[in-house]
Amino acid sequence: MSIKYAMLGILAERDLHGYELKSSFDEKVGDFWSLNYGQIYSTLDRLEKDGLVTHDREAQEKRPDRKIFRITPDGRQELTQWLATPVTRIRALRDEFFIKLVFMVKSDPAPVLALIDKQKTLYLKQMNRLTQRKLALKKGAGGNEALTSELLIDAGLFHAEADIRWLTLCEAKIKAAINQEK
Amino acid sequence: MIELRNAGKTYRQGSREVRALRDVSFIINKGEFLSIMGPSGSGKSTLLNLMGGLDQPTSGEVFIDGRPLHNITDNELTLIRRRRVGYIFQFFNLLPLLTAEENVGLPLLLDGLPFSEVKPRAAALLDKVGLRERAEHRPEQLSGGEMQRVAIARALITGPAVILADEPTGNLDSHTSEEIFLLLKSFNDQGQTIVMVTHDPKAAAYGTRIITLKDGAPDQDIVIGGDNP
Repeated sequence: MSIKYAMLGILAERDLHGYELKSSFDEKVGDFWSLNYGQIYSTLDRLEKDGLVTHDREAQEKRPDRKIFRITPDGRQELTQWLATPVTRIRALRDEFFIKLVFMVKSDPAPVLALIDKQKTLYLKQMNRLTQRKLALKKGAGGNEALTSELLIDAGLFHAEADIRWLTLCEAKIKAAINQEK
Repeated sequence: MIELRNAGKTYRQGSREVRALRDVSFIINKGEFLSIMGPSGSGKSTLLNLMGGLDQPTSGEVFIDGRPLHNITDNELTLIRRRRVGYIFQFFNLLPLLTAEENVGLPLLLDGLPFSEVKPRAAALLDKVGLRERAEHRPEQLSGGEMQRVAIARALITGPAVILADEPTGNLDSHTSEEIFLLLKSFNDQGQTIVMVTHDPKAAAYGTRIITLKDGAPDQDIVIGGDNP
């Protein structure tokens, strides 16, 4: 995932200075993606070099000028193209849990099964929290922003569900393998 | 509210004994939305049937509102099932020849109330589940989601102590399922106790409490509060 397109997306809505850009980013996707100011400014630098973003200077009393960033027509075109392109890379199978599984499964199965249990409970609690947030959103004012948040929560729920289903399958297969050995 | 004390259930399958449930003890408090989760064969449906008096435990006891479901006459048990428990099933279980309104009113009609008295109550509940315009439709004229809404209204009409739901969205798509859960949740917010069994973690996540079953016994009992990590 690229910070570049998130910046372009935010600037496509309105011109902003760096601080506002970060606030807007946090508000929109901060739940699952955190950025620091360094990353934001270095991305803006690159976008300016590529001609996708430009800036105006705004004078401030007793302080240095600040930059108001603006998306260029080239930037808009780049964003539109990116938005229309499906994502070809499927979620990477490289999270910490997979690594644990690789190193555990060869030895004694009991700790693996215990770990799977704990992991499932954790996902279930996470799903419950996400569902509570969705319910709270549903009671709110609604609107476009709320819909986006809701869809992202749904994505979190579906992913966690897939993980739970997969863990359940792991459990069944590991148990079947133990029974076969007996 | 509902209490299970060492409830167990053993079936005979030919010469084999199958322990569907072993020594289950817990209390469901008023106002809870309990999700019972487990893979198929873990004893979920058996547990739900015990709680609703549809099935008797082979050991232990079950109480609804402090009243035992054992050592009572069939007639008393029938009355508890009809008046104190509302059921919602995966396949809706509506009567095909009755209209939505008649289906909703059925538990009261079976109890001997005249239709003139039942009709306004059924109509009010259909309104609450968003089906006012569908009162005169028969099940075959309704979508899956609408049929389940009718079933929810039917489950509510007696003002039951508890609603027992068995995979209520097992037969519905994701969006329709969400609408059904939002509806159940809204009744739970008004104090309705709900117990739902499901193998679907997305469904279970609507609960205020989740019990997972494993090999016929509770495994985890997760009460949802602010103290979860």
